[in-house]
Amino acid sequence: MIKNFLEIDNVTFAASAKNKVNNVSLRIENKGDIICLLGPSGIGKTTILRTIAGLEKVQSGKITLNNRVLSSKDKHVEPENRNISLAFQDNSLFPHYNVIQNIEFGAERNKSKKKNLTINEAVNFLHLKNVVNKFPHQISSGEAQRASLARSLVSNPDLLLLDEPLSNIDQNFKEEIQVKLKKVLTEHKITTIIVTHDSYEAFYLGSKCGIILNGQLKQYDDPYNVYHFPNSIEVVNFLNRGTLIPAKVTGENSLESNDLGTIKGNFIKHYPKGSDVKLLIQPEDLEHDDGSNLKLEVVDRQFRGTNFIYTLKTSSNLLIPVFVHSHHIHQHEVDEKFGIKRPINIDHIVCF
Amino acid sequence: MFLKKINIWHISSFIISLIVAVPILTVFASFFDPTGNYSAILKNTFLYEYIYNSLVLLIGVLILTFFIGVTCAYLVSFYNFPGVSFFRWALILSFAVPAYIYAYSLTAFFENYGTAFSILKNLFGEINYNPYIPKFDGMLGAILSISFSLFGYVYVLTRVSFHYQSQNLIELGKNLGFSKKKSFFKIILPSARPAIVAGLSLVAMETLSDFGSVSFFGISTLTTGIYNAWISFDDLALANRLSFYLLIFILSLFILENYSRKKAQYHTLIKSGIKKRNSIDLNSKKAFLAFLFCATVFFISFLFPVLQMLYWTINFPKHLADLDLIKLLSNTMLLVFLSSFVLISLSFISNYGNRLARSKFLNILTTFSVSGYAIPGIILAVAFITFISWFDNTVINFFGIKTIKSIFIGSILGLILVYFIRFYSLASNGIKSSYLKISYSIDESAYLLGYSKFKTFTNIHIPFLKNSMLLVGVLIAIEIIKELPITLIMRPFNFETFATTAYIFASQDLLEAAAAPSLFLIIIASFFILITSRYILRD
Repeated sequence: MIKNFLEIDNVTFAASAKNKVNNVSLRIENKGDIICLLGPSGIGKTTILRTIAGLEKVQSGKITLNNRVLSSKDKHVEPENRNISLAFQDNSLFPHYNVIQNIEFGAERNKSKKKNLTINEAVNFLHLKNVVNKFPHQISSGEAQRASLARSLVSNPDLLLLDEPLSNIDQNFKEEIQVKLKKVLTEHKITTIIVTHDSYEAFYLGSKCGIILNGQLKQYDDPYNVYHFPNSIEVVNFLNRGTLIPAKVTGENSLESNDLGTIKGNFIKHYPKGSDVKLLIQPEDLEHDDGSNLKLEVVDRQFRGTNFIYTLKTSSNLLIPVFVHSHHIHQHEVDEKFGIKRPINIDHIVCF
Repeated sequence: MFLKKINIWHISSFIISLIVAVPILTVFASFFDPTGNYSAILKNTFLYEYIYNSLVLLIGVLILTFFIGVTCAYLVSFYNFPGVSFFRWALILSFAVPAYIYAYSLTAFFENYGTAFSILKNLFGEINYNPYIPKFDGMLGAILSISFSLFGYVYVLTRVSFHYQSQNLIELGKNLGFSKKKSFFKIILPSARPAIVAGLSLVAMETLSDFGSVSFFGISTLTTGIYNAWISFDDLALANRLSFYLLIFILSLFILENYSRKKAQYHTLIKSGIKKRNSIDLNSKKAFLAFLFCATVFFISFLFPVLQMLYWTINFPKHLADLDLIKLLSNTMLLVFLSSFVLISLSFISNYGNRLARSKFLNILTTFSVSGYAIPGIILAVAFITFISWFDNTVINFFGIKTIKSIFIGSILGLILVYFIRFYSLASNGIKSSYLKISYSIDESAYLLGYSKFKTFTNIHIPFLKNSMLLVGVLIAIEIIKELPITLIMRPFNFETFATTAYIFASQDLLEAAAAPSLFLIIIASFFILITSRYILRD
């Protein structure tokens, strides 16, 4: 007996010979869990959702939902018989029905079952009240995307698949909808897989995140671990939240870098003394201190509202990002010198 | 694995495409059949004349339709002048006049002691005007008749393309300092090129397959050659061989047309963010010239044949009285409704089957089968009879069943089947173009909401496509009302339509008697055109 709610066993997802994600194994342990799949555009994330939904067939491996095999080499349950709902990224509303009729189409499914969410609730939380009587061609792409999301939510699926669900939605709505969506999914225990290329969205919504790169599921872990303990240089490069600098392991808890000097902290993996490694420096690892004798040149400064990200150039021309709180007194211009607090202490040292 | 993929939709789509492809395959297959002595005689005598005449006719018609169609489309799309709104739709009424009826009118008006003679006599007294009245017969008559009957294809397609050209494009020309003339030749015309080529390809196909007007003017083309080989010399194999040559020629045009349509995104569709173009007001002299041009084309292409037929119908009331109008109308409408029903239903099934299968093989077969539209009605009818005869002699005889020829030849069923093959492309492409507007994710959304394939078809597709379905139905009706050669060959004994009645009278030199059925034919076709003009001009 399988204990996990969803099991993907060694499945190769392929929409075409080029667009393939090989040998994916992934579990959703409990009903109501939300996971996010992250990856660059065109890598095959949508293909994974389409295959789970039954719109594509698997070439190898097995997909099991709630102890029922949905896809394998010899078996393919048709999409209409899976009770899986997929909200497409593009506008997939029925063009000849208005918004409310489109949402009602979703509600017709599983009529007898107790509803997760009523049509009214969905319309309200997705701010669709003003467009319910409009036709798809009369509304914006963001509204169409929300209507599509509403249709999927009210269909009471066993598994909800969301393909870039908030990509066309205005920033001011996006964060509010993210919060409400998470609340609705959690409250009603709707098991969900969300595909996105926005790591912030994935880290917020997902209890687990999968990183898909170069045709493989590179890492599948909780968001904190994905961010702080990336398991490969590819994941580091994809998340683009740090720089790898050359360093030499000098002890159980220390390294020496030509650019930053001595760095102390806890290695998450053992490296023998004297090893040459690439050390991951993330924006929050270094602290600003203009009194320090370690000064780096400012090449860029990004104001992000809550914080600044300075990009600093080392003596060997490496670019290092440094996070500084927005209210901190540190107004350094480009080309000025920026001090880094020493000794450098990093909570967890990630090397490759 | 392959067998697993097959379902009822795929099989239906395959069978429908195969039925449509049968006549084309028959023509290809019979290429190697031995022909009679007439073949050798023909090679040494008339074959080159057939080819030469077909080419001259084709080139003449293409030049004239290009000039008339593009000029009219340009004027009504870009300028404001008196009557422009009227001309925009009135110019498509020329679709209601088949080339053979135009040919009758042209001859009736300009022949010795014809209508022109009568008008001059009434106005200026009785002298012999015949030497001063120009004669539009022979090749010139055929080119004029076909051109004024077919320029609508170029007009409609070019107008749609011009209509959707955005203001941005025109302003770009102004920005670059182009004169109006330079803007027209460097920007407007090239951006409408695919539409113009598509229109001209349709004209070319229709011209090569024209039978009524060329036979009326006594021009020997490949199409009349096929008819003669079969009817006069009873050489079906030669008819098929000539069909083969014509088919290759037409298929080349068809491929050209298809190729040009694939790139039909030259013009920019107006969507939000692109400015809609405003028409330019012309000064009085230019406005008058624009009005004069459109009015002349409208008069020559539509009013002239209508008035000529009306004149005769009124002047020879006996012919009208002799006509069994109810019978002709009911026969014509029976064919229209049966054909529309069969064509639309099967096109729907086949398109949905193709959509589900997404099979390259099925797509190739469909593309091949829709080329039936490019094949002259005569070839289709001959090929169909050839196939049924072969099937009857081999398969049916083998099973010892009585002949089935009478079921398919000289029957309504056979007639509808050949119409089906001939106009399948019109119906199928019409429905396909609307189907393409429904993205696959719409179907997939329906499946994911628990809808089966059948329920998706009935609850999602049919409601969405009902307008296109009606439009296609009306377009089929217009074509069937005008259709001549297939009806002539395949119809049951004593079963007449307006088209066949007009032809039979005209071929017996009883043009006056042909007037009334021709007039009714034009009126009914015009009615169908008027109710769909909004869609025709838009899409």
